[in-house]
Amino acid sequence: MTDAPVLEMREIRKTFPGVLALDGVDFELRRGEVHILLGENGAGKSTLMKILSGAYQKSAGRVTLDGNEIEVKNPAHAQSLGIATIYQEFNLVPHLSVGENIFLGREPVRLGFIERREVNRRASEILHGLGLDLDPRRPVKGLRVAEQQMVEVAKALSLDARVLIMDEPTAALTEHEIKELFEAIRGLKAKGVSVVYISHRMEELFEIGDRVTVLRDGRSTGTFDVRETNKFELIRLMVNRDLTELFPKEHAARGAEVLRVEGLTTRGGLRDVSFSLHQGEVLGIAGLLGAGRTELARAIFGLDKVERGMVSINGQVKRIGSPRAAINSGLGFLTEDRKAQGLVLPLSVKDNLCLPSVDKFTRLGFVDAKRERQAADRYVKELRIRTPGLEQKVVYLSGGNQQKVVLSKWLCSEAEIFIFDEPTRGVDVGAKAEIYQLMNRLAAAGVAIIMISSELPEILGMSDRILVMRAGTIACEFGAGEATQEKILECALGE
Amino acid sequence: MKKGLVLLLLAALSLSLTNCQRGGEQAGGGRQRIALVMKTANNPFFIEMQKGAEEAAKRLNVELVVQAAEREVDVEKQMQIVENLIQTHVAALCVTPSGSREIVPAIDKANKANIPVVIVDTRVDAKALADSGGRVATFIGSDNYEGGKVAGEFLAKHLNGKGKVAVLEGIPGHETGDSRLRGFRDALKATPGIEIVASQTANWERDQGFNVFQNILQSHPDVSAVFACSDLMALGAVEAIAAAKKTGQIAVVGFDALAEARDAIKQGSMVATVAQSPDRMGAMAVENAVKLLKGEQVQPEFVVPIKLVTKETLSEGGK
Amino acid sequence: MRARGIGQSSNFFSHYARQLGTLSGLLGLCVVLWAATPFFLTVSNLLNVAEQAAIIAIVAVGMTFVIITGGIDLSVGSVLAFAGVVMAEALHRDVPVPLALAVALGTGLFCGLVNGALITLGRLPPFIATLGMMSVARGTALMFTEGRPVSGFSGGFRSLATGEVLGLPISVVIMVGVYVLAHVVLTRTKLGRYTYAIGGNEEAALLSGVNVKLYKAAVYGISGMLSGLAAVLLTARLNSAQPIAGMMYELDAIAATVIGGTSLLGGEGTVVGTLIGALIMAVLRNGLNILGVSSFVQQVVIGSVIITAVLIDMWLKRRAG
Repeated sequence: MTDAPVLEMREIRKTFPGVLALDGVDFELRRGEVHILLGENGAGKSTLMKILSGAYQKSAGRVTLDGNEIEVKNPAHAQSLGIATIYQEFNLVPHLSVGENIFLGREPVRLGFIERREVNRRASEILHGLGLDLDPRRPVKGLRVAEQQMVEVAKALSLDARVLIMDEPTAALTEHEIKELFEAIRGLKAKGVSVVYISHRMEELFEIGDRVTVLRDGRSTGTFDVRETNKFELIRLMVNRDLTELFPKEHAARGAEVLRVEGLTTRGGLRDVSFSLHQGEVLGIAGLLGAGRTELARAIFGLDKVERGMVSINGQVKRIGSPRAAINSGLGFLTEDRKAQGLVLPLSVKDNLCLPSVDKFTRLGFVDAKRERQAADRYVKELRIRTPGLEQKVVYLSGGNQQKVVLSKWLCSEAEIFIFDEPTRGVDVGAKAEIYQLMNRLAAAGVAIIMISSELPEILGMSDRILVMRAGTIACEFGAGEATQEKILECALGE
Repeated sequence: MKKGLVLLLLAALSLSLTNCQRGGEQAGGGRQRIALVMKTANNPFFIEMQKGAEEAAKRLNVELVVQAAEREVDVEKQMQIVENLIQTHVAALCVTPSGSREIVPAIDKANKANIPVVIVDTRVDAKALADSGGRVATFIGSDNYEGGKVAGEFLAKHLNGKGKVAVLEGIPGHETGDSRLRGFRDALKATPGIEIVASQTANWERDQGFNVFQNILQSHPDVSAVFACSDLMALGAVEAIAAAKKTGQIAVVGFDALAEARDAIKQGSMVATVAQSPDRMGAMAVENAVKLLKGEQVQPEFVVPIKLVTKETLSEGGK
Repeated sequence: MRARGIGQSSNFFSHYARQLGTLSGLLGLCVVLWAATPFFLTVSNLLNVAEQAAIIAIVAVGMTFVIITGGIDLSVGSVLAFAGVVMAEALHRDVPVPLALAVALGTGLFCGLVNGALITLGRLPPFIATLGMMSVARGTALMFTEGRPVSGFSGGFRSLATGEVLGLPISVVIMVGVYVLAHVVLTRTKLGRYTYAIGGNEEAALLSGVNVKLYKAAVYGISGMLSGLAAVLLTARLNSAQPIAGMMYELDAIAATVIGGTSLLGGEGTVVGTLIGALIMAVLRNGLNILGVSSFVQQVVIGSVIITAVLIDMWLKRRAG
């Protein structure tokens, strides 16, 4: 590794309507290093890299490659400069073979025909160089996620990329696959390729990174040698506050029973589910994918038809046949997929926030916009939602702020029972802590919470009581302090 | 702002296009402007009419504006065109109505603006006109009833007074098509041996003529003749007959005497068509409009003679 | 992304900027025509254009609602024809004029609600459901009248086309009324809010307690009913109800909506934009007629304007996003 910078970005600024995304960021990449880019969602990591890869145009600043100033016009131009990007969503054509994908658009041609043998020979060479034993004739659609990712890497190498940008490359990989990927990255380093590696995961940073640059609110808060820093310092730099405790659980007083579910059975796969929920309680629901956790939430919220069983709220049996009925009974549902289910992206913060409770603001069919604004303004302030205004479209907010808008929706509808499905998925460390704090405040105010989560530390850290689901029914129940990761997993797996 | 710019450019383009079209005429300065509004500009019949009208306009030294809707049956678009031309203060208006009744409100508007109206080709519904109190200066057209009758008499002779006949109608409610149909039927009444086994509309269109007649051939494989209320529909039927490999076995009679129909008669795939003279109609429309503008009296109606076109008349060299 | 105190005003500006763009397009067009011909900018011609725009403009309001929900209504022209001939028959049977108008609106509403039911209960894609209705309504209208136009009405009914209110043609007054009402509904009422929410994200709207099926069906009902209203005006204008009336009106209505900045993807759009879109089309047709441009060239120009308007709209959106 030499210390000469391959690439320098100086004083990069980028503005979007109403938002300053990057405010004079400096970034430097040396030859053969793995440079980690760290920051909360919305800190500007992706924006910075999109400028480098030509997807966005910078508003101001200077980029130099090998000392020459460059102006990256578009992604194709970036590729020709030797800058390749591997996004979380792969750009592969599923029906084409590995080799065809690697050379897509640049196929060796003779007399108008693609030289398939040449494609496969060269693809094999590159794949071998990556330490990968993959038949270039196999169609991409049959490959594992990790293998597809390696095809993307191979594609980048076939372009003679000198700078490789990887956006959360390990998000969908297993432990073993991550090891393989890291081996490949080390191989690339040895060949002098520089890697920009965007990740949320602290553990990976210390394993694969050489240097790390932390972004916060569109500014760089510093670049460090990975060996000379530690997790807590980096977290502090990311969020500008100390996180001594990741799960700031406070136990609220347990009040009266608000929700009682008995023998709930649905065609969607729930079998005879019974449990109860009290005011001020956080009920964690753990289980493997497909164990019926989301189905349970959907059934209670009136989205799936209930075949047998009953739901009572505050001691009264309710027939909940639609989300409207559920909302009227005091339920609120924060879905797993914010963008697909939680928010109407082209609508404003205010309109999203008031959507479930429009009735409350409506007189004779007319919506009282003034009262809506007052209500929305209150929640924006209370939850510290960062937005340039109530009329900002939610699509322009960061993940954490979007989640807060969803939460406000149900606060505004005065829900007394909150169902959180994967509340912190895709949310960064700082926003996570804020969401946990909000859960504490809700519980303290007497709200009852059902928290469905795949993250065991979250379940253990935040729940007063834990239910483990398996095959559509509740398999075990644990009190606070009783459960451990091992016990929950044992139960979820049915061992 | 950009959108505005582009629209400006587009408008400028359309302007420049008009200017080349009108370039020659504008030299004439204060000539009187006469408008001809046709049903459509993409039918050979109306193209002929336009040619005749343009020649007459040149001869009489008047400016002629020719406009038409995109589709022949679009009565509302035709009304808009008339309204827009009234706004440009044309001196006289010649119209081939897309709808015999639907044209009346437009005539009313022209009346109100004191613009004389000459109706061409398709008669205005007399009752509708009387009800609204509208005035039409003159009608110029061929007698479609007579044309249908001539076609019917020819076919009766051609089939030797015996056989099954199919009919392709125009759009129902069209005076032109209805009259031709009536004339045709009345002619056949005299010949009891001839039976009309099918009578369906093909909406004046060639491709529908093809489809409809193909269907008729399915249900009545033994038809010996077909009368279509227009040549376009007749030519569609000719193709359907060819597809069924029955060319020459079924006698096809059309209406309008399009060039293509004349060719078909020469080749034997059609036996006759009824010739109107659309170019003559166009010319007479302009001539009479000019007379009206000079304050001369014109007849309330001109009948442009019709003529049966058969292989014999074609070989005689007569048009 | 970092939120800076640029505030709401810039947002408001960008919200209406697109309409400003469309409006400046309309004004620019008017300026060109004013320069090109003395006949364009006269009171009588402007009223004439407004009258010509009214029918498509009213149909386009319903289309805008439907497109904001992310749907499409291809049946508007056929429903117009059907509602027109049913009303005409009623008038010929001496049904009082107000009742006959209710028959037209009711027929349109009924067809629209059938569309809505097919889409919500039958789960058909809007394109398919309304394509089917387009054919069914047209066919029914032709059957009902045996293909013949139904014409000749009383002076009372005809006054809808010939009458004036404060010097404005009645159809123009009705058009303005429909737009004011539609604007208020879209921006101030629950129905309007839900229309945007359903188009922006149907799933999220459902999970927020919106009765998606009910409101979607209502929106198709509105579209059908406005087609019925357009049928009243068209029938009065031509003094005739034709079973083949309104052909291709769906395309004109979609064009007006899209020129007005409503996204075919749903969730966005305004009726103000649609009105400007409808006026642009009417002014363009009027202007090209006045200039004596042939109908062939007119089609090229109108098509180019539609494409250009949407290109610019998408370009503005990309720049904003």
